[in-house]
Parts: sequence; C-alpha cells; structure tokens
Amino acid sequence: MAFEGMIFAAIGCGCTVVPWLLSLIATMIYQPRKRKALLERESATSFVSGDALSTLSKPLGNREIREFRMMMSSVVMSPSWVQMWIGGIISLFGGEINVFTKVVDWARREAKQRLREQVSEAGFDGVINLRLETSMLTKTGGGKDRTSGVEILAYGTAIKY
Amino acid sequence: MQAAAPNLIFSNIETIPGMTISQSLGVVTGSTVRAKNVFKDIGAAFKNIAGGEIKAYTELLQESRNEALFRMLQDAAARGANAVVNVRFATSSVAGGAAELLAYGTAVIAQ
Repeated sequence: MAFEGMIFAAIGCGCTVVPWLLSLIATMIYQPRKRKALLERESATSFVSGDALSTLSKPLGNREIREFRMMMSSVVMSPSWVQMWIGGIISLFGGEINVFTKVVDWARREAKQRLREQVSEAGFDGVINLRLETSMLTKTGGGKDRTSGVEILAYGTAIKY
Repeated sequence: MQAAAPNLIFSNIETIPGMTISQSLGVVTGSTVRAKNVFKDIGAAFKNIAGGEIKAYTELLQESRNEALFRMLQDAAARGANAVVNVRFATSSVAGGAAELLAYGTAVIAQ
C-alpha cells in the first residue's frame, strides 16, 4: 500500500511540476532568442533621418508630402504559463509585474518594427501621426474570462517626400 | 489596403496632402464583431507554453480590421464622399472570446 501510495504521489507531483518546468525551459529558450532577433531587425532598418515613426500630424519642417498611404500592423502576444503564474503571485503583493511589462513592451516593439518594415518595403520615407492601440484578448473557460493575450495595433500615415 | 473596393482616399491625418477639403459629410463608421474559433484556441494554448506571438490571432484580427475598414469605406462611398480623413481604430471585447473592431473617420469631399 505504501509503495502504491508513493507511486501515485510521484505521478501527481510529476503532472503538476512537469508542465511548469517545460514551460519555464521553453520560455527561457524561446523568448530571448526572439527578442534578440527583433533587436537585430530594429538595427537593420535604417532611415535617412533617425526613426521613421513619428506621432506628429505633420512632417517636421512642413516638408511637402508627395504621396501617402495609411498603413497598419498588429501583433498578438501572450505571456507563457510560467510568466502568468509568476505574474499572479506578484499581483498578490502589488507593485510592478515586470514579467508582463516585458511581454507587452516586446509586443509593442514588434508592432512598430513591422510597420517600419512595411513602410520601407513599400518605398516610403516615414510615418506620421502614429497611433498605438492596446487591447486585451480574452477566452472563455471554466466559467470566467481569462486573458489569453494582448494585441498591439500600430497605425499611421506613411509618407513620401 | 488602399485598393479596398470603394476607391476612396483615406488617411489618419486631418488633411489630404495636395488637396483641399471642400465639404464634410459627417462621421462614418464600420465595425465587426468576431470570435475566435475553438481549434485556434487550442493551438494558442499550446503556444502559451513558451509565450510570444500567436500568429493565428494576429491574422484573424488583421482580417477583421480590414473588414471594418472596408465597411467604413462603403459607408463613406454611399454618402458620396471621395475621401475619409482622421481614421481611428478602436477595439473592445464585448463578450468572452469575442472582440469588436471599429473603424471610424470623417467622410469628406476633397478636390
């Protein structure tokens, strides 16, 4: 009996620990790699005058706009199981939940970078009137809504001088 | 995107560069409420092991937003406008698992 009990305990323990462990390892391998790739992409897109994106409604110096097109890009990012779990624990104490800050910041950078790439691919010089929109995605399950990710939308008017 | 069926000019700045706005025809809106499908939800749950981007959702929302934009342009075309300025997007979740995507702007006649 004691032996069987130990086996059940081991299985039970394994079932709870293994997914977390798996998630932890996956998170630690996958996310830094993606972030590094993003950083490389960010430094690869170079525009003549600094950053291509601007929140101003007119180009600096009132330069004449020859051509324009509205463009948008979006990305849905989700924290991993482990990050959700850590976030849940931190939120008991309050304060900054830096695991979530990291993910949302990453998503926003990704959305902006996609817009930059889209703009340079289409041969435009920059974007004015950039707006960033954040929204939560929820999923229904277990009788309550749970957050399944955050969507970042970046849109603006691409211009050619 | 600009080739969306009704051939209107649209931008999210207040003017149309190189043109003057002669008449405003009021606010036009276009919206759509979408839900994700269960199979994509399951795929996303697996993706959540490592976190990061959920491509299925990104695509779904992009598609829906284009639909909202398209409806807004149709609305503008029905009013006889040839451009929409100051386009804005808004997103809100109406019910669990469903999101409303709204596009709105001011329909104008520009010359």
